[in-house]
Amino acid sequence: MDFLSPTSLAEALAAKARQPEAVPIAGGTDVMVELNFDQRRPSALLDLNRVAELSEWTVAGEHIRLGATVSYTRIIDELGTRLPGLAMAARTVGSPQIRNRGSVGGNLGAASPAGDTHPVLLATDAVVEAVSVRGTRMIPASEFYLGVKRNALAADELIAAVHLPITSAPQQFAKVGTRNAMVIAVCSVALALHPEQGRVGAALGSAAPTPRRALAAEAFLSAELGDTGQWSAPRPLPGSVVTRFGELVAQAAEPIDDVRGSAAYRRHALAVLARRTLDWAWQDYLRAGHGGE
Amino acid sequence: MTGLLPARVIGQPLERADGMAKVTGTATYAAEHPVPGLTHLHPVQATIARGRVSAVDTAQAEALDGVIAVLTPANAPRLASTEDPELAVLQSDEVAFRGQVIGAVVATTPEIARHAAGLVQVSYVEQPHDVALRPDRADLYAPDKVNPAFPTDTEQGDVPSALADAAVRLDQTYTTAWYHNNPMEPHATIASWDGGDLTLHDSTQGVTAVRDTVAPVLGVAPERVRVICPHVGGGFGSKGQPHVHLVLAALAAKAVGRPVRLVVTRQQMFALVGYRTPTIQRIRMGADRTGRLTAISVDVVEQTSRIKEFAEQTAVPARMMYAAPHRRTTHRLAALDVPVPSWMRAPGECPGMFGLETAVDEMAAACGLDPIEFRVRNEPERDPETGRPFSSRNLVACLREGARRFGWAHRDPTPRARREAGWLVGTGVAASTYPAGRIAGSSVTIRFGPDRRYQVETAAADLGTGTWTALRQIAADALGVDYAEVDLRIGDTALPPASVAGGSTGIASWGSAVLDAAEAFRDKFGANPSEGDEASGGMPDNPHTERYAMHAFGAQFAEVRVREDTGEIRVSRLLGVFAAGRIVNPRTARSQFIGGMTMGLSMALHEQSVLDQRFGHIVNHDLAEYHIAANADVAELEAHWIDEHDPYVNPLGTKGIGEIGIVGTAAAISNAAHHATGVRVRDLPITLDKFLS
Repeated sequence: MDFLSPTSLAEALAAKARQPEAVPIAGGTDVMVELNFDQRRPSALLDLNRVAELSEWTVAGEHIRLGATVSYTRIIDELGTRLPGLAMAARTVGSPQIRNRGSVGGNLGAASPAGDTHPVLLATDAVVEAVSVRGTRMIPASEFYLGVKRNALAADELIAAVHLPITSAPQQFAKVGTRNAMVIAVCSVALALHPEQGRVGAALGSAAPTPRRALAAEAFLSAELGDTGQWSAPRPLPGSVVTRFGELVAQAAEPIDDVRGSAAYRRHALAVLARRTLDWAWQDYLRAGHGGE
Repeated sequence: MTGLLPARVIGQPLERADGMAKVTGTATYAAEHPVPGLTHLHPVQATIARGRVSAVDTAQAEALDGVIAVLTPANAPRLASTEDPELAVLQSDEVAFRGQVIGAVVATTPEIARHAAGLVQVSYVEQPHDVALRPDRADLYAPDKVNPAFPTDTEQGDVPSALADAAVRLDQTYTTAWYHNNPMEPHATIASWDGGDLTLHDSTQGVTAVRDTVAPVLGVAPERVRVICPHVGGGFGSKGQPHVHLVLAALAAKAVGRPVRLVVTRQQMFALVGYRTPTIQRIRMGADRTGRLTAISVDVVEQTSRIKEFAEQTAVPARMMYAAPHRRTTHRLAALDVPVPSWMRAPGECPGMFGLETAVDEMAAACGLDPIEFRVRNEPERDPETGRPFSSRNLVACLREGARRFGWAHRDPTPRARREAGWLVGTGVAASTYPAGRIAGSSVTIRFGPDRRYQVETAAADLGTGTWTALRQIAADALGVDYAEVDLRIGDTALPPASVAGGSTGIASWGSAVLDAAEAFRDKFGANPSEGDEASGGMPDNPHTERYAMHAFGAQFAEVRVREDTGEIRVSRLLGVFAAGRIVNPRTARSQFIGGMTMGLSMALHEQSVLDQRFGHIVNHDLAEYHIAANADVAELEAHWIDEHDPYVNPLGTKGIGEIGIVGTAAAISNAAHHATGVRVRDLPITLDKFLS
């Protein structure tokens, strides 16, 4: 097995173009597990740990450009207020050691349906910056996940960064696990309010072949809030709206029975998490006194 | 304090003698011993669950640089004895379970060995396999005995009539999952031959037992085998008996003429080093209107492997826990195409007390009694099975003391009646017990050294339990000297033999022998010995063994929170009170108790080896998917003990504490979960979906 260790993004892209079968490795929290368990034997590993450009985050206008290898720990410590939903999801990842090594770029590269940050990326309209020697492509998160552990990257592309809107609007993430930490999600839900667009983003994880948006739930809630003038003059939500939202999130799932939980349980829990995240987010929105004055 | 060795150093919470070496990384574990010319072995495992190896193509593996040998049944050296089919490695082409060792690669590095093992091409003649444990199988059979030597079935009185006549009846089935021991240190062996002499560095709970088991398999006289193991990174029973890797390493070292190291991987452990059988326990109970049990019936169905029998003694605790004139216990086995089951912390008591103590909780409720009061009401005056008096039995004291510490007094028994911020909260209790036994065969030598310290030698084991410290404390009191004047040596067959660290018998057995040797030493040399003076002793027979029933007892209390809308379950408090005779070292003892309780919590909520019946293997064979309770899963955890003076168990008055901590914990948690939610979970583990279906 070749071990390629470029020291710049340009070198990394050249290497990936030359050896498109090379598997990128950053924190190694997924790739090393797969190698150890002999689930894959790539002919080459492309080590991104020396590529300094990938481990920076910058403010670009209304967005944060989050380098692919910025660790979860740094997201929690440095971006907790600007990317609240992502920081919440990052806090639930693995253990402190895993959070020190793992990154959103790695989560996207692995594209596991259970990856913790995916629902947040979907709910917040994040965009993946894919680069190659051919140029740069901006891929919306909603077009990024193609199947179980399959994503939209071309063979010669690397993930350079993820762009997330900076927001002061409420975002929430909730996950059910079989224990308190170091646990793969049984299911998860992310919710983001986009008051400036009069829209709600909602997505689920670990309950379908890919992380996915709950489009019908988004449309229902966006319409309810818009039609009743809630964005400018928010009032407590009717229970029926919250319940219906939960049902629609659950209906968006295509869960399976596995070691972590049954399909029926996942549907039930998704509805609970959807109601819970909506309650929390709307409480925040009410408290912040949006629109009113 | 009649008859017992007076305690002066015993009872002090001394720090672990081996602690500094362990935390600074200088303690040498089995795979770390420097051995010149070391080679490395990686096993080839069967990918079918039953059949025969028809052909093995080793060409690709042998062609790899660094490969020294590829062993198969066709070229492996013959063993002298194949009587134990688990150890008869590479002696035939039969495959009895998926993951069985069918070949091995020896190479200059572990990586090359592992790579080459993956290049070995194996063809099979496959036969249909059968790995399904069900209570309605037609081929269930009664073993001759259950582990280690208990009767398979017992019957007293007339259970059917007593059940028919009972005012309150219970008939429920409880199940425990398939569990794997996962000590932090995986099993590992370095085998080196020097002519006809074999040295084994092995991670084991008993070097003497390893030597005596392996020598006849290899056809070597035991005195030509030396087994060394100063430190063990956990065993829990899985290192109590030699498993296949040990024989494989010795066999391979012989074949290649060089020392061989074999470190079992975490995934290989799920097929090769034993496990606890799943159990299906049908429990029937009858009681009169006052809540006195009239009948207890426990019928257990569990599995063993087709090639070697191991019968978990699951119903044994039901024979002695509670008074009832009519009683029956049975064990039936299904022999399946599965790996060989073996010891796991408190075999028998651990799964058996989950069923029994959950059933008792249900009976108490059916009788309208507090579960503590119900247990007190059914406390036997003598051992119900043998009629012997108990050497000491302080279950009631443990329940009362636990109730006081836990705050049980004003508990409202109504289920599903307490909510805190979306969480249903409940409390539960269960009893705990473990036999207080000893194993014969230990010798101890005490020598007065040139440094005017006493060298105490025996081949005992410390698997993280505290032997290095506790046995030295016993020796200090036995000799009447300070702790610092004692130098202990254990974990080497070059020392006098010692019994296995199993069945919570270590300290009682080795400690009795230390005491005997110290008495012999003082008789011979008095209080002022000369350099080189030496005396030996062994474990004297205990005349009380035939006259008393000897058991430790405990009470486990749990507070559980279950999220009402998702079923997520968390254990917010665990409190155990134990009566286990004299406690030699309160610091290491506390670790034993809370370690056992944590393992019980793990069993209650997390652990479950998931079998894929189509292929016959465990799918969650790593620590990412086989969850073991970790720090974040444990909130408040307390262990206490009551002062117990038992002059009959042994001259030290100790009962053994390695296993009792895990017994009853899962039942206390399931009982608390029922109190919280009103849902009775009778099948472990207690997962979130079980509260919603």
